[in-house]
Amino acid sequence: MSTCTLSATVSRALASSSRRSLSLRHAKTVPRTIPRAALASSSRRAYSQDPSNPLQQTSTGSRDKSTVGVFTPKAAALFVATGVALFFYFRSEKEKLLEQKRKEREDQVVGRPQVGGPFSLTTHEGKPFTEKNLLGKWSLIYFGFTNCPDICPEELDKMSAAVDKLDKEYGPIVQPIFISVDPARDTVPQVARYVREFHPRLVGLTGDYATLKATCKAYRVYFSTPPNAKADDDYLVDHSIFFYFMDPNGQFVDAFGKSSSEADVVERVKKEITRWEEETGRKV
Amino acid sequence: MGWFGGKTETPDPTSRADRQKCWESRDAYFACLDGANIVKPGDEGTACADVKKAYEKNCAKSWIDYFNKRRVLAEQQQGVLAQARTQADSVRR
Repeated sequence: MSTCTLSATVSRALASSSRRSLSLRHAKTVPRTIPRAALASSSRRAYSQDPSNPLQQTSTGSRDKSTVGVFTPKAAALFVATGVALFFYFRSEKEKLLEQKRKEREDQVVGRPQVGGPFSLTTHEGKPFTEKNLLGKWSLIYFGFTNCPDICPEELDKMSAAVDKLDKEYGPIVQPIFISVDPARDTVPQVARYVREFHPRLVGLTGDYATLKATCKAYRVYFSTPPNAKADDDYLVDHSIFFYFMDPNGQFVDAFGKSSSEADVVERVKKEITRWEEETGRKV
Repeated sequence: MGWFGGKTETPDPTSRADRQKCWESRDAYFACLDGANIVKPGDEGTACADVKKAYEKNCAKSWIDYFNKRRVLAEQQQGVLAQARTQADSVRR
């Protein structure tokens, strides 16, 4: 580890400097009759004799250093001591910070709700879509139904606007997804007609009653569609209206409700992408 | 949508334009109710007949039920809040 070698170097320097400052104090008692110029030149000679040999330096150092001028033994000791103290201070602060970050991450992993899981649905283009398709991209997932009077379109508009903003910033790394909670009426063509008016990349997923019920259960989404509803019935579905924010590992990150604004969503997603980038060096 | 034209054609919930049309006719109807000082849709008699007709044409039955119920609930909520405010004021005095 670089920190270890660095600290070893510093403690060596500390030891040698304390030795030097002690010997320097002795040197003070030496009468200052020797001309400074002579000493200085001798020190130059001492250094120039063999610069590759550090022992040479210390053997003559005790005498030579006292003549350097403003760099008095006291100043040298103070300088080194301050340096060492600062080094250890910053190192301990850095360790504290790292420890704190590590703890935060642990908390988040521990506090991560069990939302999500395997599912197998059909996209609005008739292609299969499973939880594996969530990997490698951030996703925003909204559960709703196409016959929804006002809340679903509002939330989907908000989600699409947020995705547009994020697209501009990062490119298409956030995938918007709509999952139907109304299997009786939300056929593949019906979902296709619905999603195209929100966002060009919005993927609309649907399936039969059992698959959708299982998916919603995995995502902790409640919906009230009766199992025996018919396609031409006129009814509303009572359902959870959160949309979920999932990371590129398909893990739940956060949920946004009606009270979250488009700006809130964008800010939250950006924050998470930044953190992800710091940890992995990648945006997705 | 435009090419359906017929009055019996039900609005398409997947169409943004159709949803917008429904919301607009709902707002017009509710504005008429507000003008007549009526909270519960259906209590207005024949006062808002024409806007009501448009509302019923442009919105699905389930949507109308939902919007009407929500209007009543919202008004009740307002009433409760107003009552709470006057109570709080009288306590303060």
